[in-house]
Amino acid sequence: MNTTSSCDNLHPLEIAVLGVFGAHPAGAALTTEQLAEATKLESSQLSMAIEWLLAKQLLVVTSETVTSIVSLTAVGKTYVERSSPLDRVLSAAREASSTGKRLTIADLQTKEGLEPSDVSRAVGRLKKEGALLVVQGGCLESTGRPSPSAEAMRALLRELHEAPRPMESFPEVRRALIHDYAVKRGSAREPFRIEERATRSYMLSQTGAAAVHALAGQAKAEEVAQLSPDLLKDGSWRTKRFRKYTISLRPPRIAAGKKHPYREFLDAVKLKLVSMGFQEMRGSLVETEFWNMDALFMPQFHPARDIHDVYFVKEPARASAVAEPFFSRVAATHEHGGITGSTGWGYRFDPERAKRLVLRSQGTAVSARTLALSPSVPGKYFSIARCFRYDQVDATHATDFFQVEGIVLGEDINFRTLLGLLNLFAREVAQAKEVKFVPAYFPFTEPSVELHVRHPRLGWMELGGAGLFRPEVTQPLGVTVPVIAWGLGLDRMAMVALGVHDIRELFTDNLDLIRTTRGAF
Amino acid sequence: MPTISIFKSDLESLLGAPGEPRTASIDELQEWLTLVKGEVKGYQADTGELRVELQDSNRPDLWCCEGIARQIRIKLGGTAKPYPFLSKQPGRLPQLIVASGLDRVRPYVAACAATGYRVTEQGLTQLIQTQEKLADIFGHKRKTVSIGIYRLQKIRFPVTYELANPDDMRFTPLGMETPMTLSEILMVHPKGLEYGSILAGQSRLPLLRDADHRPLSFPPIINSREIGEVLVGDDELFVEVTGTDAAMVVLTLNIFAANLADRGAAIQPIAVRYPYETPFGKRVVTPRDIGRPRAIHIETIERALGQELGTTVVKEALEAYGYHVSTGKKSVTVKLPPYRQDLMHAMDVVEDVAMSLGYGAFSPEMPSQFTVGGLSRIEHLSDRARELMVGLGFQEIISNILGSPDHYRDAMRLEGTEWGTMVEVRNVMSSNFSCLRQWMIPSLLRVEAASARSFYPHRLFEAGEVAIFDSAHEVGSRTETVLGAVIAHAAAHFSEIHSCLDACLYYLGKTYGLEPIPHPSFLDGRVGTIVVSGTPIGLIGEIHPEVLERWQIAMPVVAFEVNLSRLEQLV
Repeated sequence: MNTTSSCDNLHPLEIAVLGVFGAHPAGAALTTEQLAEATKLESSQLSMAIEWLLAKQLLVVTSETVTSIVSLTAVGKTYVERSSPLDRVLSAAREASSTGKRLTIADLQTKEGLEPSDVSRAVGRLKKEGALLVVQGGCLESTGRPSPSAEAMRALLRELHEAPRPMESFPEVRRALIHDYAVKRGSAREPFRIEERATRSYMLSQTGAAAVHALAGQAKAEEVAQLSPDLLKDGSWRTKRFRKYTISLRPPRIAAGKKHPYREFLDAVKLKLVSMGFQEMRGSLVETEFWNMDALFMPQFHPARDIHDVYFVKEPARASAVAEPFFSRVAATHEHGGITGSTGWGYRFDPERAKRLVLRSQGTAVSARTLALSPSVPGKYFSIARCFRYDQVDATHATDFFQVEGIVLGEDINFRTLLGLLNLFAREVAQAKEVKFVPAYFPFTEPSVELHVRHPRLGWMELGGAGLFRPEVTQPLGVTVPVIAWGLGLDRMAMVALGVHDIRELFTDNLDLIRTTRGAF
Repeated sequence: MPTISIFKSDLESLLGAPGEPRTASIDELQEWLTLVKGEVKGYQADTGELRVELQDSNRPDLWCCEGIARQIRIKLGGTAKPYPFLSKQPGRLPQLIVASGLDRVRPYVAACAATGYRVTEQGLTQLIQTQEKLADIFGHKRKTVSIGIYRLQKIRFPVTYELANPDDMRFTPLGMETPMTLSEILMVHPKGLEYGSILAGQSRLPLLRDADHRPLSFPPIINSREIGEVLVGDDELFVEVTGTDAAMVVLTLNIFAANLADRGAAIQPIAVRYPYETPFGKRVVTPRDIGRPRAIHIETIERALGQELGTTVVKEALEAYGYHVSTGKKSVTVKLPPYRQDLMHAMDVVEDVAMSLGYGAFSPEMPSQFTVGGLSRIEHLSDRARELMVGLGFQEIISNILGSPDHYRDAMRLEGTEWGTMVEVRNVMSSNFSCLRQWMIPSLLRVEAASARSFYPHRLFEAGEVAIFDSAHEVGSRTETVLGAVIAHAAAHFSEIHSCLDACLYYLGKTYGLEPIPHPSFLDGRVGTIVVSGTPIGLIGEIHPEVLERWQIAMPVVAFEVNLSRLEQLV
């Protein structure tokens, strides 16, 4: 056994017991009584401490003897105060004899307040010893002779009142009297109690001696509240004892430096996308209608381009120019298909309208810009773009929100690889194993798909939309390979992960809410 | 996109043969609705009413019960029966004569008559709903296309489409009790008020009348009550469409003709005679087959879908989707049915092949080519800065970017200063969302102002985008990423925020200096520009007590803001 650890783990009660051994010469055997005397511990605490020390093998039992101990009961203690029934009967009889009054057994019961059983027992014993006579009419008379029982009883009460004593310490006659007047089954009202008591004595084991030695070192230590640099510097901590704390109390709160839970969610999405080989794209909060819509082959008369769907910029209202050759190519595509093999929308493209400035309403605008910047082929791109919609704000609509969008370019891109990519998103982003592909409509893709997944916590939900960019989008921007356009709708997942029910809470100004929200993702 | 209300029993009777409805469960219907990009949004079992949302804004033929049923019925049956009203009609057709001058107002009109279908209550509801949805969404609130439906037996041909003086002609419009002139209708009638702007600036207004000079309607505003109020039980109808786009006008009429034919009506084409040229000539019989055959290489379809199909499979798939198809050796020649006009590119056909076969028929395949992922340089820098701010004990915030000039400018004491210029919204819905933030500190003060009861100290930061007004830039502003930080508590002090800035810039590897400047948002003498390599990249200081008062913040606040985009460009 390791002494140090056994010494460290000692309970204060154990330390108290070991301390007594430390105060005696090495090898001393001490009894339970001696230990009780020295430690001033309650007997239950002492026996607990001794049991633990025996279990840890710090103490060993040297001897064990069983002795009968005689002590006074509560009845015995009243005899000390008011004399025993023997004495009281005897003295009453003597008084009656000297004054010539008659004394009956009934008088003893009424005048002296003695129990009938006590009276008859005392009278019986005194008569037998010849100290008392019962004369005619049931009257008691003193003979004037002494009663050995009464004297012995008086002595026993006096001695035992000081302390309980072993039975062996009394002579044979007294032992008989004690047995006669001891508590037994059926006679509880007796002055004496005889208890069998096992008296053990203990001594230290070798490890116990070492623990005592270690404790002796600590015992000298002064108690301090706080470890300080000075204590460490001069090593004096070795002679100190550190006050123990109540460690179950709640700690004082602190404000942690931490990321915003919604940003943490978006960071996790960002990490996923980068790990799948996507390169980040950035764009501008303010865009021309050209890049926000025209380049995406949304006709200028499209209902979603209405004044009631997009925020327009007050000043300047228009861009000075849109970069060529994209401007002319896109205009031609809208009007008659241009180089794309499309019929086009067949209307007069308004170049001034294309220059109007709007707050970016869809992340796809960032993808359109990337397509025009000679992207890598094969290439995968994503953006987490702030977008703005001309919507009334409520629990499910924000004017200002993030869209997670992107593109995939490559010779091998087709409808099946589009579905393959969506499968990957379902697995990686939503941890979903089941997916459904549903036909969908977006102005800039054909074919178009909605991705529905069975989310482990939300059940079936729409995770995103995707499709192959129309050639009317890619070719005017100089891209000749097929391109997947995809977007993920993550707000609902984010709200569940953050435990909020109102989309506005994602951007809350309530610091308590931000400080206490924990993300679960 | 439109959400329409249809009746399940109506849909079921249109799905089956006449007199033999084809019943289906809601789940089954939902499955079929994928063919039309439709989704059941609600179902009331007691009335049998279904709310269906249709996604495709290029397929107005699907925004009605008849169109949905038609697409599903063709798929279930494998092919579409051609509509007889498109073939050449024997005998002389009823005439609709267009007067001169309409080419400058509302040039095109198309019409037909429908007999033999007795209008039921559900049928009438559908007719009105289709009329409204097409005119509103497809017809751009009646500007491009509007539709009128009349009781045929009240009309004597030829009908004339002409321009009338606003105060000459009087008739009782729908919804009114007494005759009104056209100008009265524009000024008083709810529809006149709603749609009158379409005719703004016209001295003479469009009018449809019959051979007896009885007005049919004042397009695109309102029908005559006498001729233009269709009732349940009517079995002779006249339908006309007017508008500004010839193809859209004809397409809309074709949709109505197909819908009424599907309900059992015989369609009587009408010959429209123009005094001016139209894309379809001067004499146009409507309904009219406007589809053009288009040859598509089978390889184009197969490459786009990533699967070998062959001409036979493609032909069957397209026929089951309503196309007319003939096959060549390595190509198919396709023509759309008369109620569709959305074939712009071969890719449109590709999607219809996939929808007809079902998306489930295509097994997903992973794109196999290798690409390298990564973050943009600015995002990388922003993430490093965020990590540092977290390490310095700051709580991250995310705010709206669209906010109010009150917060971004006025509360910051920046009215009329160089720092107070912002990108503002023209079509303001709410002043709370009317400009883009030009700096970050107001976003953080917004949180501070709302969080006086959250225990102090407050150390807040946000890294995010701002829009900086710049007339020299292509879009009139630059989107830049900035880092803002504030500290608020009873003893918040310049040196405390300075230490944080110092640590942050140290670990970002930038040596900086502070140069005192006056700035209205900060206490004078306790504010400086942060300068790196001679370029100002931000501000630091103690927020001016008047700013705090305007925000109703009762705690000292110190702050800094660093433009990460500018920092990133400094090598």
